[in-house]
Amino acid sequence: MYVAVKGGEKAIDNAHALMRSQRRGDSKVAELSVEQIRQQLPLAVDRVMNEGSVYDPELAALALKQASGDAVEAIFLLRAYRTTLPRFGYSEPLDTENMQIERRISGTFKDLPGGQILGSTYDYTHRLLDFALLAEGEAPSSPAEGSCTEAGELEDSLCELEACPRVLELLNKEGLIEQSRQPGEADETPRDLTREPVNYPAERAVRLQNLIRGDEGFLLSLSYAAMRGYGDSHPFAGEMRTGRVSVELVPEELGFPIEIGEVLVTESEMVNQFHGSKEQPPQFTRGYGLAFGRAERKAMSVALVERALRAGELGEEVLYPTQDQEFVLSHTDCVSANGFVSHLKLPHYVDFQSELEMIRRLRREIDTGESSARQANESSEEDNRR
Amino acid sequence: MAVISNTLIAGFNDPVQDAQQVFRAALKAMSEPGTLMACSFTKEAPEGLDNSSWQLALTLFDADTKVWLSPALAQNDAVISNLRFHCQCPLIDNTAEADFALCNADELPFLADFNWGNAEYPDQSTSLIVQVPAISDEPFWTLTGPGIETQRSLRIAGLPEHFRADLIRSRQRFPLGIDTFYCCGDQLVALPRTTQIEEAC
Amino acid sequence: MNAATATGYNFAYLDEQSKRMIRRAILKGVAIPGYQVPFGGREMPLPHGWGTGGMQVTASVIGEADRLKVIDQGADDTTNAVSIRRFFASTAGVETTEQTADATLIQTRHRIPERALQENQILIYQVPIPEPLRFIEPRESETRKMHALSEYGAMQVKLYEDVARFGHIATSYDYPVMVNGRYMMDPSPIPKFDNPKMDMMPALQLFGAGFEKRIYAVPPYTKVESLDFDDYPFEVQSWEENCSICGSNHSFLDEVIIDDAGSKMFVCSDTDYCRERVAQQENPA
Repeated sequence: MYVAVKGGEKAIDNAHALMRSQRRGDSKVAELSVEQIRQQLPLAVDRVMNEGSVYDPELAALALKQASGDAVEAIFLLRAYRTTLPRFGYSEPLDTENMQIERRISGTFKDLPGGQILGSTYDYTHRLLDFALLAEGEAPSSPAEGSCTEAGELEDSLCELEACPRVLELLNKEGLIEQSRQPGEADETPRDLTREPVNYPAERAVRLQNLIRGDEGFLLSLSYAAMRGYGDSHPFAGEMRTGRVSVELVPEELGFPIEIGEVLVTESEMVNQFHGSKEQPPQFTRGYGLAFGRAERKAMSVALVERALRAGELGEEVLYPTQDQEFVLSHTDCVSANGFVSHLKLPHYVDFQSELEMIRRLRREIDTGESSARQANESSEEDNRR
Repeated sequence: MAVISNTLIAGFNDPVQDAQQVFRAALKAMSEPGTLMACSFTKEAPEGLDNSSWQLALTLFDADTKVWLSPALAQNDAVISNLRFHCQCPLIDNTAEADFALCNADELPFLADFNWGNAEYPDQSTSLIVQVPAISDEPFWTLTGPGIETQRSLRIAGLPEHFRADLIRSRQRFPLGIDTFYCCGDQLVALPRTTQIEEAC
Repeated sequence: MNAATATGYNFAYLDEQSKRMIRRAILKGVAIPGYQVPFGGREMPLPHGWGTGGMQVTASVIGEADRLKVIDQGADDTTNAVSIRRFFASTAGVETTEQTADATLIQTRHRIPERALQENQILIYQVPIPEPLRFIEPRESETRKMHALSEYGAMQVKLYEDVARFGHIATSYDYPVMVNGRYMMDPSPIPKFDNPKMDMMPALQLFGAGFEKRIYAVPPYTKVESLDFDDYPFEVQSWEENCSICGSNHSFLDEVIIDDAGSKMFVCSDTDYCRERVAQQENPA
């Protein structure tokens, strides 16, 4: 039985009430606090901060709670909040060289000044479900399970380490890697893509902003494709570092930088081959990614896609979607993508009616066309018989 | 140059609602070229500015718009202090970079000196606000084009001859062009680049 | 204190700096009819594709004196129309109306009201994809050039392919128009039935595409022509049926399936127009 959908007002109110009760789940189970989400689901919080473009773990956790854990919905909530915030100024560039490192690895050198610091990672865990967590037991707190590591060693490995030079600077000393800025190129304030629309071709700073706000899954798949041959990408993980960096601002009335806080960030620098061009000798090139929080997958994906998008300016042939900036940059945003795909759920019956009318007409015309052709055929056959 | 505080005057009484109403007046003026509008949401304007051009500035200028002032306005402390204080707009010396130009009619530079936009982005052109001695709908110019059902007549006093001739000729370069507002006291009228002008001899 | 200040957001949600930026874009749009002005589209608290472009335009234009009507598919009570109308009722505290004649601002998705619009009304369209050439050329850098050079042959070829295949043009909605003889414009996905209403309309027409970050406009009394060919002129759809409620034989009709056997009835898509006609029939003035 068909019931015409009318009375939108009441339907919306009821839908919202149902959604709220579904989100809460069984009220016999204790309600999740925002602080619990922030403390115990930090990687989900980091993703929401990255794509939501706001460094605020508490609001990101609130958004996750409000969105029933749906990352894309949470990102949207944070973005819509962000839009209304007044803009006080732009910070100085982050100095990641002076990062207080908690994890730092390089795939290009066995050892290096400052050392490899494994820090906290899922990388070498065996992906076996830990039923102890199901039993609500505490996870073992020792860094080396079953071994006789002293508790003091864990603290040592967690304590903040000295700042250390970036790996790519070692290559830079030999002139084997491109300068991130061309000699004589001014340090221009990047355009802010949340204030101005992207015009194509977009400069590198705008591309990076776009990618960092981009959907993690989309960027991961694009970089995967680029490595599998759809993109001429042969990268090395030059360096990946995670840690705290101070944020500085130069207030107009002071004229010198003051520290206004610090952020936890993950930085990825990829080393890619480059065969040289007429202007430039063969050298390594860089792909760069920086993300809020502990977001290595995101930072690496950004670095890989970012490098692929430089194909045009490095004189490489642009053959694949990952190298095509209009294709990539127009489709990274999960808020836009989700909105547009989900808007198909809105009524389209007026346009559909137009199409119905058109299809019926075309079919009628084909039918009458066929029958008149048949008649014409028959009558000409009759003529022939006569 | 710093803001000189003794020349500062009040802006809109209700910045949100007043700016909205002035914008609607400007929108109607621009979409119905030659239609005289009145804006009186400020009691006074800085010495040297008409009330309507001052209200347009409060409504449309901000830190994102580069503004060029004609010489007498650029040397007027009251004008520049109030624009800096209320609008935070950067004041520039080069007409070709201006998003907005605010001019006295007798100081108008050549139309060609402004930014006309380019074929792919004709919207990047300068918008021109001219303070004139009088505006009326007496027949002098006959206007036709989008926003005008048949034709409309308009007389703007005090425009230099080179400017009038260049403005009329500029229509041939559409979609490039300069969109213009004319202000006198509380009065406001607009001529976008689409309006064809015929001058009575 | 009005409702807007009560919610803790600015009047009509957007901050004043964003409104100024959008207002400047609207003025440029009006000055260059049919040309798509890039603007710094903001995130709205509704999803992209659900009318955020139209909402940003409405938020920048609306004032306390306005009466707002919102329609989706021609109807005031479709869920999305209700949601947007409520948004402005709560963030701007403005009066809303369902009556076309009564409204100063009308935000619409997919229809132009049947009742002729008047001077001093503003019709604001929600636009998903503002570029009429997008499905011919996906690259913005290329379509910009095509508009700059008035190179619209590709669209003519596309339409003519229909003529060659079907004997007439087979685009039934989102049907491209030429504005003031210069710019090709996407009228948003309105049925082509509505295209003729755009031509020389006394009301101002504003178009907002939120996630594509484009604003464009058609001033009042501006020529808007639907593309066609001398031998295959533009024509609109028509129905053999009349509206089952008001009997109209000249409005755009929705087909409503009324039982499991697939029986149909036809009703006006413009619910206010239908209501107005019924009221007139009951109480002839």
